[in-house]
Amino acid sequence: MNLKDIFWLSYKDLREKKIRTALTVIMVVIGVASIIALTSQTQGISQSIQTSLESLGPTSIILTSSSSTGFTVADTARLSTLPNVSSVIPILTGSVNVYANSQNVSATLIGISSEGLQSLLGVINLYQGSIFQDTIAPSAVIGYSIAFPTALAGKQNIIVGQPATIKLSGKGGETLTLPIIGILQRYGTSVIPIDTGVIVSMQAAEVLLHKDSFNIILVKANNVSSVNELSLLITTVYGSSARVLTTQQLLETTSSIIGSITILFVIIAGISLVVAAIGIMNIMLIAVYERTHEIGILKALGFKNRHILTVFLFQALLIGIIGGIIGILVGAGASYSLSAIISGAQASTNSNTRNSGSGVFVAGSARSGSFSGGGATFAAGASPATSSGAGLSSLSYSPVFTPITILEAILVAVIVSVVAGVYPAIRASKMEPIEALREL
Amino acid sequence: MIDYSIKVHDVSKTYKSGDIRVNALERISFMLKKGEFAAIVGPSGSGKSTLMNILGTIDKPSSGEVYVDGIATAKMNGDELAVFRNKKLGFIFQAFNLINGLDAEQNVELPLMVTPMPNSERRKKSDALLVQLGLGNRLKLKPSQLSGGEQQRVAVARALINNPALILADEPTGDLDSKTGEEVIKLLKKICKDDKVTIVMVTHNLDTTKYCDRIIHLKDGRIEKEELVK
Repeated sequence: MNLKDIFWLSYKDLREKKIRTALTVIMVVIGVASIIALTSQTQGISQSIQTSLESLGPTSIILTSSSSTGFTVADTARLSTLPNVSSVIPILTGSVNVYANSQNVSATLIGISSEGLQSLLGVINLYQGSIFQDTIAPSAVIGYSIAFPTALAGKQNIIVGQPATIKLSGKGGETLTLPIIGILQRYGTSVIPIDTGVIVSMQAAEVLLHKDSFNIILVKANNVSSVNELSLLITTVYGSSARVLTTQQLLETTSSIIGSITILFVIIAGISLVVAAIGIMNIMLIAVYERTHEIGILKALGFKNRHILTVFLFQALLIGIIGGIIGILVGAGASYSLSAIISGAQASTNSNTRNSGSGVFVAGSARSGSFSGGGATFAAGASPATSSGAGLSSLSYSPVFTPITILEAILVAVIVSVVAGVYPAIRASKMEPIEALREL
Repeated sequence: MIDYSIKVHDVSKTYKSGDIRVNALERISFMLKKGEFAAIVGPSGSGKSTLMNILGTIDKPSSGEVYVDGIATAKMNGDELAVFRNKKLGFIFQAFNLINGLDAEQNVELPLMVTPMPNSERRKKSDALLVQLGLGNRLKLKPSQLSGGEQQRVAVARALINNPALILADEPTGDLDSKTGEEVIKLLKKICKDDKVTIVMVTHNLDTTKYCDRIIHLKDGRIEKEELVK
């Protein structure tokens, strides 16, 4: 029997029973689509975090204060004297809301020196305007998602030169008006939520937030090999009053979280494939029963058991292939909607996580288990290669499809379908022609 | 020496149902010459279907042997029988038994699908047969788009495609009106004579036996009488 004959004998049955075939294929589609949609999420998130952490540099050590007093200039001075330290960048953050043109966006006020900002971002990419001076004058550079809020779906809400009103979170809720002198390009996922940040000079931030201390210090080591030693030293110095994390630790922590999530997702997708397998077996048994008479005819005409077996296994294979291909397309579509939904949910939980003041490094601690999200336009291909920011606090990612995932998904679909078809096919092949011919 | 195509030698078939033994066929023997057109007639329960199934090798005799073109079939296993049927036998059924999802050409080609014959040669053969049987303009139609007579002619083409030694026709006119039925019988007669194919036909319709060379009357599993038609 050549492939064309096998195809026709298998395919004609699928074509004749269109609704039944569609339902069977849908079962495979759901299984494959869930594999694709879920793994592409974890791969997207993982890649995004990795890129941003890597852009922060392997020599970075991040200190977050766990005391209410925070860090002072004395701390930066002390850290600077430690061996193998190349630079010390203090950062002060606080939660605010930005009001402009009747839009209200929750944001993070970030105080940092212009030099520190440069070091944090690698390259300062401005969409419009210019960067602030290191003076007490409170002029702000805002993140992309503040100027282009999600609620307006890509429309610009704040332009350079326009003052915006910011309201401090917490009791009192003081209101201030800041001139906007610059808008940054989208940075994507970042340790410091750049895209939803209102960035001012350190001096201005201290005034606005009524603080003379800061909650984050970014320490850069001279070289990668001294990072671990230096981070140990800093941990010894600060004990429980500061949390010390290296980029390497962040990478390890996040990849272990993502690894667990991936396993969970694979189990979920696996369950749907098991359901699909049972469905295929069920449908195939019905098909074998219905084609009993036809099997009798074929056997009378000289078809051997293995010919009949091949026809039915091929039918299962066809279901697997069709389901696999459609599943990949559906999965890719679902994947992009899913990342949009995830980031939407992120945006709405923003203000809660922000209020903790020092809780910027959310993903840095395995306990908090959620990423507080920033920019929320995640449509397909919408984010150009701008995720050169650093880190975790704002989650911006596109799902990642690797050829291996796609190949695996199709392979799994085909294997599951064929395995599910084995028992029905064997039953079909073992039918006695005389009994099969009697059935009508 | 007479060239016998079919030799049925002392064939019995016994069905056991609990303690009861039913003799469906008892010591049946007959021989058919190459190109002979034989009819098997008899009341229902006389063993016609059992005999046809044994001749068609889809059932095995309890004892005795059937030779087709000198080949003994009673002891063959499933795969050997499949090859044997594929090479030596053609089947024509009362209900046509065409496969619905396939068009006329594909139905005719079915027996050749399990042979190594190339597609193009196969297609040429099936088209030639269908044209010869007056179905040249029906090649791509599905069985559901054909009339009863046309469907049975497709079935005849399918039975002929492997150049069989023996064609087994089980009530070939049973589902057809009398005029169409007679045309099919005339067609079988012509095949018999032109192609030197032996045909065994089971029929209820005694009118159709006038085209046959030999009539075998079965009753209660035995050959009641065997007559030659002039």
